[in-house]
Amino acid sequence: MDFGSFLSALTLLNIALALFGVVAGTIIGSIPGLTATMAVAVLVPITFSMEPASALILLGAIYTGAIYGGAYAAILLNTPGTPSAIATTFDGYPMAKRGDGDLAVALACFASVAGGLVGAFALLFLAPPLASVALAFGPVEYFWLSIFGLSLIASLSNGNLLKGLVGGAFGMLLSTVGVAEISADIRLTFGSQTMIGGFDVVGALIGLYCIPVLIDLCAVPDRHLKVNEGVQKVRIGEAARIALNSKFNLIRSSVIGTLVGILPGAGGSVAGLVAYSEAKRTAKPGQRFGEGEPDGIIATESANNATVGGGFIPTLVLGIPGTPPDAVILGALLVQGVRTGPSLFQESGSIVYTFIYGLLIATVLMLPTGLLIGRYAYKSIVTIPKAVLVPTVGFMTIIGTYAIRNSISDVMIMICLGIFGWLVGRFGFAASPIVLGLILGPIAEQGFVQSWTIGAATSNLTGMFFGRPISQAILAFTVITLLVPFVMARKQKKAVRETES
Amino acid sequence: MNESSVTQGRLGSFIITVFFLIAGLVALYDTTSYSDSDSQVFPQTVAIAMILFASISLIMQFLKPIGSEGFGRGIWWRRVLLVATMLLACAAMPYFGFLPAGAIAFAGGLMAAMHDRWLLRTLLLYWGSGFVIMVAFFSLFKFALQVPLP
Repeated sequence: MDFGSFLSALTLLNIALALFGVVAGTIIGSIPGLTATMAVAVLVPITFSMEPASALILLGAIYTGAIYGGAYAAILLNTPGTPSAIATTFDGYPMAKRGDGDLAVALACFASVAGGLVGAFALLFLAPPLASVALAFGPVEYFWLSIFGLSLIASLSNGNLLKGLVGGAFGMLLSTVGVAEISADIRLTFGSQTMIGGFDVVGALIGLYCIPVLIDLCAVPDRHLKVNEGVQKVRIGEAARIALNSKFNLIRSSVIGTLVGILPGAGGSVAGLVAYSEAKRTAKPGQRFGEGEPDGIIATESANNATVGGGFIPTLVLGIPGTPPDAVILGALLVQGVRTGPSLFQESGSIVYTFIYGLLIATVLMLPTGLLIGRYAYKSIVTIPKAVLVPTVGFMTIIGTYAIRNSISDVMIMICLGIFGWLVGRFGFAASPIVLGLILGPIAEQGFVQSWTIGAATSNLTGMFFGRPISQAILAFTVITLLVPFVMARKQKKAVRETES
Repeated sequence: MNESSVTQGRLGSFIITVFFLIAGLVALYDTTSYSDSDSQVFPQTVAIAMILFASISLIMQFLKPIGSEGFGRGIWWRRVLLVATMLLACAAMPYFGFLPAGAIAFAGGLMAAMHDRWLLRTLLLYWGSGFVIMVAFFSLFKFALQVPLP
């Protein structure tokens, strides 16, 4: 860390690149189907002729902007713009529906900036020691982490845990469709060539979250979002106050996001879900998560943006990409001739520190640009006539899903999943547990099978699954998360009985 | 909720739970054809769990029925038009190209979501803006993002 690198990051070119990256990333991330990985991948070629530090700043800014941009569609259309914003839909869309969409967008911006800063500072000060955390996570820890994420089903089941569990299991089965990663068996395709590629997660997300909303929107003449009369601007002051009052949640979720970001393969979606689960577990009386609770947005948005800095830690220190966009950036670094690894901070210190300062600057720039873009995004969504909004979003879902794997079959599957999601949603089977199963299924399977194989080979299955300290800690959190709602419900019933008597 | 929608909700919930139960059984049967136990163990466990949860859910629905929303209010032909034109667009895409096929979906969605009376002004404005939006997104994906749209 040196002052010269800080000054290098402050050149006009680097600031302009950071600004451009944040704006471009935010816009790309807000379009359903265009993920942060795509945003970074599409813009990588323009960095080849740049200085390594400037190229890194641009890519980092695009990445952080795209993760934040995903919140717009999640809040205003109930469609996660990127998979990282899945948990943002849980409270964001209910807030938008009741007329607080502007507040939700501003909250998402504050939380994203705070999370992004925590992640970037962790990268600046704690990169080498934190990188060892990634190495401490074996398959069994990944398995328990995914089970911890799945424990969220208890709170996402719309009051019917059994239906939530059925949905979660169905989502996990969907995640196994296609060629098995471990042994290459073809599973659950029933002879269909189309299904061999499996379900694309982003397409499935778009289908399960967005299509049901469109089906409901076109069926009734009501407005698509309620607008609070008299409120003309994005409620920045109110959002800042709420974020400050939830500072503990903000910091905890940012730290969770940073730590999950460090784990290769976990990513923003897992970070958001874990942070949301923790926020819900520690909810104050009166907080109603899943019904438009601002703390839900703070938790998920700070966590998913913290994964940006967190993900760069193993990428730069160990050469292991923490998240898919990190993998693309790692490739761009190799093209630039920068060799990542434990000695990177010594050998190419000026490049790395200039990049980290640039990432900090980009994150700070996200505050004004995010609030400004958020204001226009909100205004556009609430003022555009529903007759134009529905087909526009429908068209975006088609083109966005097609763009992921250039596959018409994926679009067809997305629409069919959407119809299925709408149908089952009408009868008490929420889409969120299915999505959780779909996302966490592959992580759980890989972790489970690898742990089982190692445990069986060492004749110590119990020790493998339950004997490692990190596993025990995650397991304890999972049990607490599952038990808390029941204990609270019992307490409430007891209190009601006592009041009545 | 009136009585008919409660009945509809319970019946629908029952049918969907049975669907999940059958899906679990079919998945369990499919796992018997895998050559490697590594690819068998996870879907088998999940399928058994799904059968178990769905069965308990069915029993609970008999013992303690909980009403769900059912199909609720809304105009059916609009819902059907929206999804039918989207599916039709997918089917037409390889033959007509992305933009004309997308226009089918857009037109269907526009007609499905339009609850006001059509006036000349709205007709021109909505169809015109639809054309601009489609061309803009098509150009963005095809030329800027280099997505090989058909």
